[in-house]
Amino acid sequence: MPPFPFQEDHEMIREAVKGWLSDWEDGGKTLHRVAKDGHGFDRAAWEGFARDQGMAGISIAEQYGGADMGLLGRTVIMEETGYTLFSAPFFSTCVLAADIIEAFASEDDKADLLSKIASGDIIISALDGRGKLSLEDNKLNGTISPATDAVHADLILVAIQNKDNDIVLTGYSPNTAGLSVTPYASIDPTRSQAKVSFDNVSLSDGQAIGKTDETAFSQTLQIAHGALAAECVGGGQRCLDMTLDYANQRVQFGRQIGSFQSVKHKCADMFIALESARSASYFAASPDLDGDRTAKFEAALIAKNYASEAFFKIAGDAIQMHGGIGFTWEYPLHYFFKRARSNRALFTSSEDGFQMLADQIGLKSNTSAIMGK
Amino acid sequence: MSIREELNQWMLENLTGEFEQIRWRGGPGDEDSSPELRRAWEQKFGEAGWIGLQWPKEYGGRDLSLMDFVEFNEEYARHGGPGRAGHIGETLMAPTILAYGTQAQKERFLPGIKNGTELWCQGYSEPNAGSDLSNIKTKARLVDGHWVIDGQKIWTSLAHESDWIFVLARAEEGTKGRDGLVFLLVELDQPGIDIRPIHQISGTAEFNEVYFTEAKTEADNIIGEVGEGWKIAMALLGFERGASTLGQQMMFQNELNLIIKTANENGRANDPSLRRRIAEAHAGLKVMRFNALRMLNGTQDGSTSKEGYISKIFWATWHRDLGELAMDVIGADAEIIEDELSPMQKLFLFSRADTIYAGTNQIQRNIISERALGMPKEPRGNTNG
Repeated sequence: MPPFPFQEDHEMIREAVKGWLSDWEDGGKTLHRVAKDGHGFDRAAWEGFARDQGMAGISIAEQYGGADMGLLGRTVIMEETGYTLFSAPFFSTCVLAADIIEAFASEDDKADLLSKIASGDIIISALDGRGKLSLEDNKLNGTISPATDAVHADLILVAIQNKDNDIVLTGYSPNTAGLSVTPYASIDPTRSQAKVSFDNVSLSDGQAIGKTDETAFSQTLQIAHGALAAECVGGGQRCLDMTLDYANQRVQFGRQIGSFQSVKHKCADMFIALESARSASYFAASPDLDGDRTAKFEAALIAKNYASEAFFKIAGDAIQMHGGIGFTWEYPLHYFFKRARSNRALFTSSEDGFQMLADQIGLKSNTSAIMGK
Repeated sequence: MSIREELNQWMLENLTGEFEQIRWRGGPGDEDSSPELRRAWEQKFGEAGWIGLQWPKEYGGRDLSLMDFVEFNEEYARHGGPGRAGHIGETLMAPTILAYGTQAQKERFLPGIKNGTELWCQGYSEPNAGSDLSNIKTKARLVDGHWVIDGQKIWTSLAHESDWIFVLARAEEGTKGRDGLVFLLVELDQPGIDIRPIHQISGTAEFNEVYFTEAKTEADNIIGEVGEGWKIAMALLGFERGASTLGQQMMFQNELNLIIKTANENGRANDPSLRRRIAEAHAGLKVMRFNALRMLNGTQDGSTSKEGYISKIFWATWHRDLGELAMDVIGADAEIIEDELSPMQKLFLFSRADTIYAGTNQIQRNIISERALGMPKEPRGNTNG
């Protein structure tokens, strides 16, 4: 029986994806390669995963060519890509962009874009330009950074707040006049980051995707961000697995270090953090929440905040438990530590996220929420 | 009508009159409040058929599904239902009797639990058998058709309000550790038993010392065989992680709601650091709930799923932190005692016990590392098996 709340088909996907990603990652060798070339993106692997394995459309509706496996489906994928730090734009394209398009685009645009996402034929970098881009006389100015997966995106989907406080969603080709994408080296070298600058870009040079209000947009964004909880769970599981392997084989004072209570208790704490993050992640993907957007929004906030904090703690503890070897570049643990840090800081930081949650549960405040800063 | 609606209606009609004064009362840290009223409530509750809902129909149960039972517990807590005087009997003793008891034992003991007339307490810990529970020294010997018991139990919740105690004792002379133990059912009202309350950090006294001096119980009042005491004792603890944890969480939710209300009223809801701590507490409670659902959906045979291992340390630590948060939200005024300790002061003081009883956080970490993670076992001294 598959573990609650998953079904048989989720477990079949998990098995398939696990093996494929493990081959890809090759015990950390691939992570070194991806980090070294500086782009945090493995195009060939992405095409194999998205097209040949058919994973890009896991939670996209059947009518657009997806597998329609819902939030639990993508939770499985994100957990396994987190376990291997798969350097590909699954989250940015298949979760974040797909959710925004699904929620706000016209039926024609959905048919076009979601089908392309599902078939692995497009990479979309979805960017929140609120507070970063100005819109005057239909000209866009400003810089968004970090812009995940923008370097190799076919389409840059940007959210802008107009003077009526509507959220305007527009898609740009990377070749648009005035738009520039500048990659930069990130502390977290297995995920691609860039600065995207708009220098008098005409609003009308982009493809109008949709328009919505602040609340609806923020909720959609947070629900998508909630999927990162699963990546944190996968990454945390990997850190714990590596730590247990190490603690069971490393001998000091004539004993496996894993027999010392100080080491065992640290591992127990890692496990507690991991399993509770897993519960938070599965809760946010639970079909019980279907049809209740507010509950989904809150659950996603909880999952993302909780799991990213847990992953960071677990990854830090894992380095400590490995001693000197955990501090070396050769040993791939540091990539997980770095991903943990960036998941905690990007896509709504934990600090902002907990303050948003405080608003959500009715804590009154003089200063208003940090919605979509 | 769903079980939730059924109970809702009954609570509206019955948690009234004199019982109003025990609404929200009698939870952990407050278990010694209004004992007579709470005993009366337990009987009223039993007469209405609310006890033993998960039991098989032949013992008066309703074979209630797990999720319905979860709803039932949540609804009870939502009404501020009084802490149940019979909870040890219903959630620990009864499942153990159903799983391991004889037909005669089922017929003798289940009705008293079901109608709320016989209250139970748990005789496990001893002065030198705390975390190292298998170091049991209390002795039991069979003499003329009776077990004769000598020794001492400690930290026995509500012994002074209970009718029966289940006792883990050493029946075979010269055995050590987990061998040679028996699991006995003993009536408390007898000359051989002396119950002395322990005054606690909170000023209240729900824990007791129980002294046995040639205390007696009939030879038949043993669950399992001689030497199986440890197995039965551990199986009983497995039932502790049941659906009632969801009801416990509803009580936690009530406590958290009170903290949020207080913070909004006194303006500390504006403090970003307290805001974050309250939001984290809320997140922790949701995590606890889903973890419990994972656990309850994972195994129904009393064995422990992986996530089950984190349940105790998670809620205990969360609840202890909540007690600290409650006081911090009140601020300096939290030091003032009006007539008696306020619910938040009780929460703060009593929750220090949470990370100690039913397996300390340190023991929980040993269990997690050895059973869930398969790490090497703790070397043991030579007094135990």
